[in-house]
Amino acid sequence: MKYFSLLPFLLVISCEKPSPAPVATAPTPAPVAPIDPDQIKSSVVRVNSTQQVWNPGQPWEKGPAKSRRALAALVEGNLILTSAEMVTDATFLELESTDGTRHATAKVINVDYEANLTLLGLEDPEKDKTFFDGMKPLEISIAPDIGAKLDIVQVEENGRALLTSGTLQSAEVLSTFLPGQLFLTYQVKAAMQSSASSYCLPALSNGKLAGILSSYDSKDQICDVISTTLVSRFLTDSKNESYKGFPNLGVGVASTEDKAFREWLKIPETEGGLYITKVRKNSAADLAKMIKGDVMLAIDGMPIDRRGYYKDSQYGSLYWIQMVRGTKSSGDPLIIKILRDGKMIDVNVTLSRQEESTRLVPFYQFGKAPNFLVKGGMIFQELSRPLLEAYGEEWETRAPLNFLDVLGNPEAYQDKFDRVVCLTGVIPTPSTVGYESLRNLIISKVNGKPIRGMNELIDAFKKPPLGVASHSIEFLDEELVIYLDELTSDAVDKALLQRGLPILSRAE
Amino acid sequence: MIDLFMIKHIFLSGLMMLVVKAQTAVAPLPQQTATPTTTQYYQSVVRIEVSTQVSDYATPWNAGGFSGGIGTGFLIGPNKFLTNAHVISDAQRILITIYGSPQKYAAKVEFVAHDCDLAILSVEDFTPFEKLPIFSIGTAVPELESQVRVIGYPVGGDRISVTRGVVSRIDFQPYSHSRSDSHLVVQIDAAINPGNSGGPVLQENKVIGVAFQGLRKADNTGYIIPTPVINRFLKDIGDGKYDHYTELGISEFPLMNPAMREALHLPNDGIGVLIVAVTPTSCSDGLVKPGDVLVAIDGNQVDSSGSILIDGEKVNMHEIVERKFAGDKVALRLRRNEEWIDLNVELKVLPQAKMYSIKYEAKPRYIVFGGLVFQPLDTNLYATVQFTDISVRRLYADYVSKGLFQKHKDIVILTRIQEDEMTSQLPNYSGKALASINGTEVTSMDQANELLNPKEMPTHFVFEFIGVDRPLILPASSIGDANKRIQKAYSIKNLSNLSE
Repeated sequence: MKYFSLLPFLLVISCEKPSPAPVATAPTPAPVAPIDPDQIKSSVVRVNSTQQVWNPGQPWEKGPAKSRRALAALVEGNLILTSAEMVTDATFLELESTDGTRHATAKVINVDYEANLTLLGLEDPEKDKTFFDGMKPLEISIAPDIGAKLDIVQVEENGRALLTSGTLQSAEVLSTFLPGQLFLTYQVKAAMQSSASSYCLPALSNGKLAGILSSYDSKDQICDVISTTLVSRFLTDSKNESYKGFPNLGVGVASTEDKAFREWLKIPETEGGLYITKVRKNSAADLAKMIKGDVMLAIDGMPIDRRGYYKDSQYGSLYWIQMVRGTKSSGDPLIIKILRDGKMIDVNVTLSRQEESTRLVPFYQFGKAPNFLVKGGMIFQELSRPLLEAYGEEWETRAPLNFLDVLGNPEAYQDKFDRVVCLTGVIPTPSTVGYESLRNLIISKVNGKPIRGMNELIDAFKKPPLGVASHSIEFLDEELVIYLDELTSDAVDKALLQRGLPILSRAE
Repeated sequence: MIDLFMIKHIFLSGLMMLVVKAQTAVAPLPQQTATPTTTQYYQSVVRIEVSTQVSDYATPWNAGGFSGGIGTGFLIGPNKFLTNAHVISDAQRILITIYGSPQKYAAKVEFVAHDCDLAILSVEDFTPFEKLPIFSIGTAVPELESQVRVIGYPVGGDRISVTRGVVSRIDFQPYSHSRSDSHLVVQIDAAINPGNSGGPVLQENKVIGVAFQGLRKADNTGYIIPTPVINRFLKDIGDGKYDHYTELGISEFPLMNPAMREALHLPNDGIGVLIVAVTPTSCSDGLVKPGDVLVAIDGNQVDSSGSILIDGEKVNMHEIVERKFAGDKVALRLRRNEEWIDLNVELKVLPQAKMYSIKYEAKPRYIVFGGLVFQPLDTNLYATVQFTDISVRRLYADYVSKGLFQKHKDIVILTRIQEDEMTSQLPNYSGKALASINGTEVTSMDQANELLNPKEMPTHFVFEFIGVDRPLILPASSIGDANKRIQKAYSIKNLSNLSE
């Protein structure tokens, strides 16, 4: 019995593109593959993942669990390579042999959410030491050229391996998972057939691992495959003692196709160039004294055109970011040719990386429980993109304006906050009488102390100032100070614990 | 949230057939016991036929759409017909018909109050109306459960219609015509349908209200404007002009929390609200301060939820201001720094608050400059364009409360870019607020217009937008030709209109 399920693919696609109607494609005659499908089974394993997200409204508890399956590649060192999406907020990871006879609990060895790659290993190598018996790790292919044949590996429920040949149609710098995280990705044209449900699949070139398929559009029959270059860099860097991740330049850019704009910027017709709209504080570009208004003409001698593309020797026209993130590491030098006030200058940049933890409003918080405090029934949380996304699909317009402003203009808040602590809701309790309607406010001070993050908030609530019987709470941009009675709120906290809240605060 | 609908809007939007069904079931004929006087009174309920021209804020240079509708009005004095503002707003032609007569009489608007949805009309020749009885307007709000009659010309037929209902609720409710005002409303269980608008609601041939809006999602709910609102309107226009409602310009926070009361050194007696914001330039500005505790207004004790007791009913404390006029005084008793402060605040109208009201009988202002279309931010534009830009939405929300109007007479928005060979490569910043032109901060449409027509032509016009990191550049020398092309291609007669 064939198990027709395209659903996992559609789920992936729906994040990026309008999801096509589920079409159960008719099985096509298997193309002639250069490798034996049965042999490949000894180089792939299934990954079963149970994922559970923290409840954004009640951060002390987790939401419902969901599960994902993937077919992953066995690589050198008895490690398993799959996409990072498979392990986001994972509570349980399991490896399963393709014939379904062997199971082993897995753990994350390394994960890069930006690159959408993860490396898994056995949780208990001693206990499951026979799991990899008879299996053979895949070698990593050299980066395939445009037009090359790639084989996508699938394994059906009955254990039969399927190889679908596709053509590498183009290479683009785009995001396969997190918005704005752009990496080299192959677009492979392949008529895949519905098979055992799988979140992502290995893609081979001449029997060697050439990438990880992260999404498939059944209507256009196009797969997004995380590129060989990215995979091999991730594997190499994962061997290092401390994994650094991929660097950023730290600039925002705009194209310069507009004629009047070019004239005004005095860009010669022979040049392309990208206009720098933003330079992030303390980023590599900032430290190299690049400023808003500069025009970036070339990186390491490679000219950038008006739309931001350069000519890659292997893949042709690629977005400039590839020259930073795709080929360099943190600490690497870069020479950027810029145009400033009509003059061309070379800027020496030393690449660095923006750690997610240094962002005022974190973009993602996978595997990290959200910080919060419940005091007397008032719920305080740190502002993050996942918290904003909890306002629904249209969160970008429906979330509170003051929160969206912090997300859009963090520079205006960075001096005052490390993390923005908000009052997100009020549980009606004896100490919150009259405060029930308060929500969506940014906390500026508690008991007179400025609040830069959750730790400061928890500290500030420990004791009201000497001789005062209540805690005072002040809000940003509001002329309102509210008070919580110390004894009543302490009693409420105890009662809330009795009513089943496992903890009243978290600050990690 | 309450989903109120504009009776006229329903009528004009062609949904008439939907409501016909509900309406045919009602409308009982006058009972046998009806006195001749009642029938005579019917003659004083007139049918108002209006043709309108509604401005188009999406393409502001266009003349706007022609449309029309039917409403009801009634005689309240010599050549004075009372009706709803929404019946006659944007009217180009108004015709009045007497019950049972084919004759149509031209009428005009004498007074209109969009904030409380009332208007007074007069006819050119009052002679045919001279013998008709005149309705008197009561002073009291009808009691709950008491019976009322609604008379008017709703959809479903051409002749007069009468429906009966009982008063089911008396409450503060939004008046949907202006989209920003709330006043006292009486809810009755008789359906009020398109065409009923402006008709009298009677108790024993005395007017106790004007039918004005219904509820889309519920059956048999009609809303009427009660006599306190009508009488206030009539008193306001006594001096020959309508002034608008006034407001104190304060925002308050309830003082119900014991810990908060203790921290503010207030006894736990359930009295007083905390002032948390004072609108700049409002009548309270400089007198009342955030942090003050308001304990009494005009001698009425304010409770900790902001209510006062009037005529045995708990009502919102702003009801005191509702009943007053510009120039009237309000006595405020405040607690500040453990001292009592008594203030006499002279009420005034805050014209900038109209930012949040729909404008009628106004021509949209705009500037078309080299294909860029600029319009001032107001509620008409806000209702037309779906603004997603956070900066624009914040500017709109903070315009009055944060006093942005003091510096910015207008918030100028780039609403669209007309495609042309000069503009085709421009980044699409439509929906963004204009920050500056050639380095000068933009504060109004008039000033923007001056900046766009400087004495000395620069080589380029540089437009910066709020929340956008890349300027928009136009070559000054090409603008004249582009304007001509765009004017012709998009059929724009005038490149700007700076007066409403």
